[in-house]
Amino acid sequence: MKAWTRAHTLAAGAALIVLTNAVALAGAFLNRNAEAESRVTLSERELALPYGGYRQAEDSGLALQLNWRVLDEDPDSWNHGYARHGGQPAWLNAAHLATLGFDTTAGAATSEARQRFTRQLPRQVLLVLELEGPAWQQAVLRARENAARQTAAAAANPGSEQFAKQAEAGRRRLALEETHASRLFAIDAGLDADALRRRYPDRSRHLIVRGTVRPAERGRDGDHRLAGHVSQLAIAQVNVPFALRPVLEPLRSPPRPEPEQQAPRYEVQLAIGQRLEPWIERVTTLPER
Amino acid sequence: MSDQTKPLPARRQAQQRADEIRAFQAELARLEAAEVLALGKTQRQALADYHQSLLATYASAYDIDRDTRASQISLGMRVASFLGALALAASAFFLFYQFWGRFSEAAQVAILIISALGSLGLTVWVQGRDASGYFTKLAALVAFACFVLNISMIGQIFNITPSDKALLPWAAMAFLLAYACDLRLLLAAGIACVIAFVAARVSTWSGIYWLHAGERPENFFVAAALLLALPRLSLHRRYPGFAAIYRVFGLLTVFIPMLILSHWGQISYLDLQPKLIEGGYQVGGFAASALAIWIGTRREWPETVNTGITFFVLFLYTKLYDWWWDVMPKYLFFLVLGLTALLVLLILKRLRGVIGRSDTGERA
Repeated sequence: MKAWTRAHTLAAGAALIVLTNAVALAGAFLNRNAEAESRVTLSERELALPYGGYRQAEDSGLALQLNWRVLDEDPDSWNHGYARHGGQPAWLNAAHLATLGFDTTAGAATSEARQRFTRQLPRQVLLVLELEGPAWQQAVLRARENAARQTAAAAANPGSEQFAKQAEAGRRRLALEETHASRLFAIDAGLDADALRRRYPDRSRHLIVRGTVRPAERGRDGDHRLAGHVSQLAIAQVNVPFALRPVLEPLRSPPRPEPEQQAPRYEVQLAIGQRLEPWIERVTTLPER
Repeated sequence: MSDQTKPLPARRQAQQRADEIRAFQAELARLEAAEVLALGKTQRQALADYHQSLLATYASAYDIDRDTRASQISLGMRVASFLGALALAASAFFLFYQFWGRFSEAAQVAILIISALGSLGLTVWVQGRDASGYFTKLAALVAFACFVLNISMIGQIFNITPSDKALLPWAAMAFLLAYACDLRLLLAAGIACVIAFVAARVSTWSGIYWLHAGERPENFFVAAALLLALPRLSLHRRYPGFAAIYRVFGLLTVFIPMLILSHWGQISYLDLQPKLIEGGYQVGGFAASALAIWIGTRREWPETVNTGITFFVLFLYTKLYDWWWDVMPKYLFFLVLGLTALLVLLILKRLRGVIGRSDTGERA
């Protein structure tokens, strides 16, 4: 057998590098080559600039954080307008979880059965993200009702500092919900992209992306149910192409007002390709309000 | 065919032979001083010439340590090259992050591919000029880091879904550099990639998202079986030390999950009472570490024996902690630990004696 030489090492290593890059780039090309699977126009509310600090100094790249939310079953639960750590939506019940591959056969009647369910590990699923849909309207309505309730309570308890603070917090939450919080909500999950697209045909309002769901339980006072926690998206940050960076760079550093007074400063056209991987097609600045 | 006309062995084998010659010369001097053995002048000269010539050949080809002082300096060089390799790899990462945003996507991809190819070419070039192997190690680790950076950054630039499949080409590159340049550090990197990939694949068979593979420690047992089987390939006869690294990583991939499961039974795949699972893995851990000590001793694999002893003691101490930390006064608890260490020493001493006697018997 011929001895292994340095030329062999170089040839094998170079072939490995070229082949791996070719596979990765071909995947990116296939994702973007055909017509986009969906295309939506999001604002700074849904695609936020990264926080500054030392990481910005060490990393010259720019990626926007995809802010998505879950309308929690519990109306008192509020995630401050974004849900990078996920949430437990009402639609993700035991029957739905079973279709995603989770074993729900033991039910939720006993603590052992619930424990058996919750010890299952997260699964990757396809999530439907809806922009400015009924889930968002419901979130605004909840904030409005909460503000009205807190204001009424403060009016009924004049002189109470605690009630006054709660009323102020209610107003701030409503302002956040109306002007700053993300309008992008996870509203469904499945394993078949075509089936989900048939159910949500509007490609300019419904995105299908990869994410993970983990089992959870909900309930108190003896009423226990199996639930699912939409925990994360596979791609939570979207790289900003070099050509579009000049639009966003000037917006990175200037100091900003309180979140509830912040109006979105730019719009982004986001496309999701055939492999359900996103990319930014266009960025435009919005006039100051 | 004399030794000098045979093909040169790998660097580590050459160093081992040089160390044996040094030990032989020291022992010969002692035997002559004790008048047990006396070589004639011609024999002594022939032996000295032969060894000198052999050592000179090895030294010119591999830059080996010819005496104790040289080997002490070599240890320092090994440490320096390891730390330097890590620092240079980190530097390559941060250098790219610092400046990549200033280039277009096409330029970013070109820089990444060129840096991976360039660092590979540099490694091969350095290997041809570096008899000691220290500089080759530095260059090889940078080449590996550049390739890892290349693929992970392509993923970031084009928003590609993270995949465990990236671990495969990384492992292939690490193994290529490890075997081509005789580098154990790169072998360890390749093995780590293989462990992660196999565990991720095993976890996806049961529907788990691959990034959560570590939450079911049993996912690592398949990788452990592979690693423990691999050194049996004859390929490793040409790479001294490689088989030992496979065995150590194989044992770590068995023992660490077992140690975790012996304390947190609820994260097992097994649908049993957690206490029962913990008990099973405790017994299994003791049995497996004792088996590793026995096999390692029989086959003269010191690294297997040491890993087995380390985990036997770990299993024992964690169990003693569970039982007695809360109920015993601390002086008594540590006294018990000390006494168990003495017991382990006595057992190992006895084992050494038994093996020594059986070896003598076999030779007789």
